[in-house]
Amino acid sequence: MDRTKSFVITKWASYILLSITALIWLLPAVYAFTTSFKTQSDVMQTGFRLLPASWVMDNYARVLSNSSSAPIVRWFLNSVLISTTHTILMVIVVSLAAFGYARLDFKYRDTMFFTVLAISMFPAVVNIIPNYMIVHRLGWVNTPLAVIVPGIAAVGNVFLVRQFMTGLPKSYDESARMDGASDFTIYLKIIVPLIKPVLIVTSIFSFTGSWNDFLWPTIVLNDVRQLTITAGMLLLQDIYGNYMMMGQLMASAFLAMIPTSLLFLFAQKYFIESLNLNTGLKG
Amino acid sequence: MDKSMSQEGLALEKKKKFNLSQWIFIGPHFIFFIVFILFPMIYGFYASFTRWNLISSPTWVGLQNYQTILGDPTSSFYRQFRRGLINTLVFVAGTVPLQVIIPLALAIMLQHRGIKGKGLFQAIFYIPGLISVSAAAIVWLLIFNPRLGPVNNLLGSEVTWVVNQPYAWMVIFLMTLWGSIGGNLVIYRSAMSGISRDLYEAADIDGASGTVKFFKITIPMIKFPLLYTIVMSTAGAFNVYAQPLMVTQGGPEQTTHVLMMYIRTLAFGQGQSVAGMAAAMSILLGLVIIVIAAFQFRIMYHNAK
Repeated sequence: MDRTKSFVITKWASYILLSITALIWLLPAVYAFTTSFKTQSDVMQTGFRLLPASWVMDNYARVLSNSSSAPIVRWFLNSVLISTTHTILMVIVVSLAAFGYARLDFKYRDTMFFTVLAISMFPAVVNIIPNYMIVHRLGWVNTPLAVIVPGIAAVGNVFLVRQFMTGLPKSYDESARMDGASDFTIYLKIIVPLIKPVLIVTSIFSFTGSWNDFLWPTIVLNDVRQLTITAGMLLLQDIYGNYMMMGQLMASAFLAMIPTSLLFLFAQKYFIESLNLNTGLKG
Repeated sequence: MDKSMSQEGLALEKKKKFNLSQWIFIGPHFIFFIVFILFPMIYGFYASFTRWNLISSPTWVGLQNYQTILGDPTSSFYRQFRRGLINTLVFVAGTVPLQVIIPLALAIMLQHRGIKGKGLFQAIFYIPGLISVSAAAIVWLLIFNPRLGPVNNLLGSEVTWVVNQPYAWMVIFLMTLWGSIGGNLVIYRSAMSGISRDLYEAADIDGASGTVKFFKITIPMIKFPLLYTIVMSTAGAFNVYAQPLMVTQGGPEQTTHVLMMYIRTLAFGQGQSVAGMAAAMSILLGLVIIVIAAFQFRIMYHNAK
């Protein structure tokens, strides 16, 4: 009797606290969304009103047609190109390396891998300034390569994929090798298909990480037309915000949020899985 | 004899081929690792002992940068480092505990058997983490806009949030939590789902209260995920840059001007680059991150025993 009473009380207390937190968490995105459809005079009204007096597309039309001070269409396409290329390159380089460290026998293999891993654990803040010099020497400043390539060096993804490859039975490679398959054939035809889910997870994380990266793009991209959409947000406060053009500001921010949020809706299962992978809860 | 020779030759050849093969696989990543991680790290240490403007070659000055940053109160670098580090520590202290406590509390509530719509709640808490900090900052600036924002209009207040303390920090903290509890929440939930129901039922029979169960069963059973999230959240918080840059530009009166902002301006700002000084500051920041992570490991390990 007492148990059921406390069950009901804790249930409703949990519902109330969860709902309040959820409302606070939803408010910014919902308010930004509705504001992006408000007219300028609607925006300037004081008093809280969530929904627009009338829904208009003007803000989107304005920000999408801006091709000089804040060329958001261009930024969006830059980001799509950069994040996609980065992700594809990453999957190829990381899966190759993970195969080498997990499935091939060579001297000092594990020593080498764990040395590389340990070095990469040193806080990345130290690398930023010299990396700029390298990218500058390579002639990549203000080109997509400056933001596509350096991130490929990260070791965390190699570690994750290697973990999974190590878990696969050795007999797979051995029987294929007996049949005369080369290492590359084993990699491509046997191992990669088996670890596809992990590769999807690392791809999703690389894409969102690349899309949302802020500090590095603002250092190596300083030509307005070359910016990513995430770095471009830095300029919008001066272009729209200072003139209280909240509708256009929110329309821009909303466009920047769409791809990663959509990706989540389509691949929620993989997102949740990947978080479990990182802590090694299920490995 | 002949046969064994040829076998030996075959084995040798095979070994040689293996060596080449290994580099085909690990080579590409290894080159990227050397060029964009190992070399920059070594060069970063070297640069911290030099006077350098990023373009011409660095001039060796020994420990001079470190002496200035740590021991010369008349220098602006000393003041910037000190202020930047203090502000960064305020950010870490203000966000990291809540980045652990809030998702832990939410995870416990979501564990309640009577709650429906768990997936929906989780999605609501998780999605803000996928939004870039810069886009999020633009949205939060509207939410806290003194005249047009919903917060002041709902509360009937006239606080000018981002230009006054402690409100400026409050906005930065809230916006950071908004974007960073989802990941930890998912980790705690999946760790808790692995705890056997029998443990709780046995505790129920002994008449244990909810608090006792939480500290004696839940926390010890999820200690490794907990340690992982604490260390990762702390290291992440030390790198804070975008939130104060976008929301307050370091104000009011530089009270939210974090160390990464100073490092960035010194190395890549408008005027003459002082990259050697900035490199020394980033080495010091890196060391602080390492020391604190080691400290957290030690404490957690001792308590876990």
